[in-house]
Amino acid sequence: MPKHIARLLLLLVGFVAVAITARNYITDKSFYKYGHYRGDAVAEIAQDKPKHQGSAYCESCHTAQFAEWSKGIHDSVSIGKVVTCEVCHGPAGSRDPQQRFINAATGRVHPNNLKLSVPADTRPLCTVCHEQMPGRPLQQAQIVIADHAGTQQCTLCHNSHSPRTFVGSLGAPAQPGHAAAGKNKTAICAGCHGADGVSTKLPGPTLAGQNQAYLLESLTAYKTGKRTNALMTPMAAVVSDGDIGNIAAYFSDQKCKPTLNAADQALAARKAGASVCTSCHGTNGVGTDQAWPNLAGQSKDYLASALKAYARGERSNVIMSALAKGLSDAEAENLATYYASFSCK
Amino acid sequence: MDEKEKLEKHQTARRAFLGCLGGAAVAGGAAVVATTAVLPKKAQAAAIGAVPAVPAIPGYDWSKHHWAFGVDATKCIGCLRCVEACKAENEVAGDAHHFRTWVERYVYLEGEDRARIDSQADPVNIAASGSEGAYRFANRYKDAKVEKAFFVPKLCNHCTHPACVQVCPTGATFKTDDGVVLIDHSYCIGCQYCVQACPYGARFFNPELNVTDKCTWCYHRITKGLLPACVEVCPVGARIFGDLNDKQSPISQFVANNRVEVLKPETGNAPNVFYVGIDKEVS
Repeated sequence: MPKHIARLLLLLVGFVAVAITARNYITDKSFYKYGHYRGDAVAEIAQDKPKHQGSAYCESCHTAQFAEWSKGIHDSVSIGKVVTCEVCHGPAGSRDPQQRFINAATGRVHPNNLKLSVPADTRPLCTVCHEQMPGRPLQQAQIVIADHAGTQQCTLCHNSHSPRTFVGSLGAPAQPGHAAAGKNKTAICAGCHGADGVSTKLPGPTLAGQNQAYLLESLTAYKTGKRTNALMTPMAAVVSDGDIGNIAAYFSDQKCKPTLNAADQALAARKAGASVCTSCHGTNGVGTDQAWPNLAGQSKDYLASALKAYARGERSNVIMSALAKGLSDAEAENLATYYASFSCK
Repeated sequence: MDEKEKLEKHQTARRAFLGCLGGAAVAGGAAVVATTAVLPKKAQAAAIGAVPAVPAIPGYDWSKHHWAFGVDATKCIGCLRCVEACKAENEVAGDAHHFRTWVERYVYLEGEDRARIDSQADPVNIAASGSEGAYRFANRYKDAKVEKAFFVPKLCNHCTHPACVQVCPTGATFKTDDGVVLIDHSYCIGCQYCVQACPYGARFFNPELNVTDKCTWCYHRITKGLLPACVEVCPVGARIFGDLNDKQSPISQFVANNRVEVLKPETGNAPNVFYVGIDKEVS
């Protein structure tokens, strides 16, 4: 074989040897295991520690806050809205920032030397979701900040964990009243609300057994002019703050009675489309929170007139006005019949 | 030696030379074939043999999953909790230039024929949040005559035929068997071909570490049975994630019950993020 050919062959063998060596010793062993990449990289990326721990993790220590939250609108799987703890408080776990991208399995998890933020200024936080803004879908609860509360903190009125629960600070006396003291002041109420607060066909709603916080808030709203009614406004104006508490306590202590007979109840159950009402007023007409009125035990006439008043804009409430808008009179009657059919407590 | 004899001798030499060359080529070729034939055998043995062909992730078998993502833009409120959660979960640089996921706002004003588009990285929105590490949309259109407006969350589409994987010269980015496009940072040389190749702008370069980075659908979470961080924190359920192999999973239901679409289908990348409620101008 000519010399130059032998050289050529030798070179070729040399190249092949280098290639095999490189393939076996330089390229990672797991390369090509699953494809044209380092197979071990998959497990390395997967071994990273999660930072967001989920609300169940928070519950193990913060049971009271968790209970508040899980009862409220911020935990409503049924309407597709779940604002977990970490949405506002940030993730409960952290990693060593020095080892970013290296998939370090190390990291601290609250409470081990890792403090989570409890926002002191709630306005910028709450309005991240609830500021009225073009582009936000209609089903999102939105406020115009200046009209809603100005510069006040959201938590002045709202419980941050369950924002539709209102803190009893709407200018109303915070301390609950005395039922016995309230009884002396209620003679004037009986004309419309019935003796002992049970109203069947009278213009006023049944007050017996109603949530105390709701009664307190309503009477205060009449007194301050936040809510107006031809009959109630002048009455409330002459009641002192202390008496408001006592009257609320008295009526919420009374026993109420069902207002419809069994046949009407069966009829009503088929007619109503009350699913939207149940998150606040309960499936059986008993409010899910002290701040919301019980509908059970109210007369059908009262419930229907209240709903129609909301629908027509004669009575207004942040939540009820929006829900009742566009409700026809027939629908209002149906809903009223449905809720009037529940016997209270 | 006459001319004819000379010519014959010359031809003989040429024939011998060509013969030698041919032999060498055959020998060389055989050597190359022999070496390359050995390697796939090894790989095949690993695939068929006792070693299971799934990465060693505790309690997880990637052959049983086919992940996909859904975005319901009709629910998005533009709160940007997903963007902040992603940054925290994945230790993405806390500035206004690097995002694994982001949200765009499309606003059509009366009398204008094109949408005004901004994202959380827009200077006006950064000014509204007060920090590059926190995000919120400035209410800049509250007094404008808005014809229509909506928010669109964006992220890596984890395409079925990812252009980024095709152009990667080192095998640093790849598609896993369960449908996720990942980056092996130890193999990334920072050439950024993939950043250029991605039609969705889903990739970014991290100048600190000289590697490319992007959304992994929180691979470290989904392999542990958790949801990606952005899905976990979305307060309105605008982000949907799940396993297409499970017909009851949220994503299967989402795809089955909605007329879904993907971004830029004409590129042939076949994205796996399915959208509902986006307009013609979104791409």
